[in-house]
Amino acid sequence: MFKLEFLKLRKKTRSWLGPILVFWLIMLAYPLTVEFLQDKLEIGFFSVLWIALLISMMLATEDIFSEDYNDGSLEQTLIKNPTFSIIIVTKIFTYWLLIGLPISILSFVFSLGTTENLSLSLSILPLAIISSYIFLNLFVLGNALSLNKGSVLGALVTMPLALPVLIVLGKGLIAIQLDINYQSFIFLLLGSLSIIIVAIPIVVSYVIKAHLE
Amino acid sequence: MIKKFIHQFASPKTYLYQVSRFYKYIFYFSLVIYILSIIWGLFFTPEDFVQGNSYRIIYLHVPASFLSQTLYLAMAISSITYLIWRVKLAAYLIIAIAPIGAMTTFIALISGSIWGIPTWGTWWQWDARITSTLILFIMYLGLISLHNSFSNHEKADKLLSWLVIVGAVNIPIIKKSVDWWSTLHQSASITLTDKPSIDPVMLYPLMGSIIGFFGLVICLVLLSSKYQILHREKNKSWVKDYV
Amino acid sequence: MFNFAFNSFYEAIYMNGHGLYVWSVVILVFISLLGFFIGFTVKIKKIKDKLNEPN
Repeated sequence: MFKLEFLKLRKKTRSWLGPILVFWLIMLAYPLTVEFLQDKLEIGFFSVLWIALLISMMLATEDIFSEDYNDGSLEQTLIKNPTFSIIIVTKIFTYWLLIGLPISILSFVFSLGTTENLSLSLSILPLAIISSYIFLNLFVLGNALSLNKGSVLGALVTMPLALPVLIVLGKGLIAIQLDINYQSFIFLLLGSLSIIIVAIPIVVSYVIKAHLE
Repeated sequence: MIKKFIHQFASPKTYLYQVSRFYKYIFYFSLVIYILSIIWGLFFTPEDFVQGNSYRIIYLHVPASFLSQTLYLAMAISSITYLIWRVKLAAYLIIAIAPIGAMTTFIALISGSIWGIPTWGTWWQWDARITSTLILFIMYLGLISLHNSFSNHEKADKLLSWLVIVGAVNIPIIKKSVDWWSTLHQSASITLTDKPSIDPVMLYPLMGSIIGFFGLVICLVLLSSKYQILHREKNKSWVKDYV
Repeated sequence: MFNFAFNSFYEAIYMNGHGLYVWSVVILVFISLLGFFIGFTVKIKKIKDKLNEPN
């Protein structure tokens, strides 16, 4: 199942490369908007990083179901498989592997390039890895809700749900910078992820069923 | 048995006839209580020692802000009822409540902002409560636009119910996280989170205004749900008899 | 408990400079409520008229 989803996504180069390139472009555009001095670059860097991560995850999930829905294969998969939510879990995992993970690694690279602080950038990596997975799950829900109505609607309805994650990311970063109990933020995000990873695919499967009924 | 009871009691027809019977009483009772409490609060309570007369906004702001969350809770209960028991009335109620919830949240936000000008010297603070109210307002708008995007009402109802439930789980998380975030950044001098100990002289009109506003909002929900029922069940024969 | 808090009608409106804020909120609340009540009543009336139309 995983192999099939992986090959399907890999074939659609635009779908997985697009969000990575958009992330890259936002991170490249950021220095152009501030004076080119190292200390000034660092001020807003992480805010831009988290928002770029959020936006690229939003773009990544844009056509996660729409193509399958339009050609009817989504309906067939739903009828054939009683455990439809497992397929959604696999789908999200594939997206994370091909898009979320590379973007998280890019976050590390950009962070190292901007702050020139290896330990800080290494701490950013797990935050980016986990949060990209959470964002993917949330936007998948948004796209399931607005299946054939465009991703703007999906983004509008799920963006408020993603805001607490941004807050945790901001706090986590401060904890890293002040060197205080940074692990607790990782555990908090992991805890949220462990709930989301189970709950969202179940809700998404019900939502898609409602679309196809 | 519960299912049978719900289906019998919560049929749109029974509901509509009951609404028509009780609506006027609730409306006039709430209107009188609300207006009297507002007059009492605005003119017959002493000036606040710290905030001066601007504190009188409390009689309009607090009921709206209380209702904004209560209405979301009501939507969540309706969503669960709809998804479990497939009660059509519950689905009508969800979409009937949404615009009214958005209105009360809007009133809470704007009145809070106006209150902020004389009290804090600024119309906006990234305070925990204000931020979570703003997010709640965006959520209401999202719910309304989601429902409006689908011409198939049944599909729209199901999608809306799921989103309301996911949102309801998220509301305490949003509140907690925003609370947590703002406590770091904000000086302690300006807090909305601490409940002021309020004198009974000011408390009674406040209670009255909450009850009155609550009743008026219930009337709005009744009207809105009546419209939903008439709109969605217009082809049923009993609707023609009712009209 | 029911003592008029102001010395004159003008003072009650002016509220030591806070009248502008208080009254704008009062107007906001009443206009919103009135707007919604009228809006729904009109909508219900329209749909009732439509249903009453002879086919």
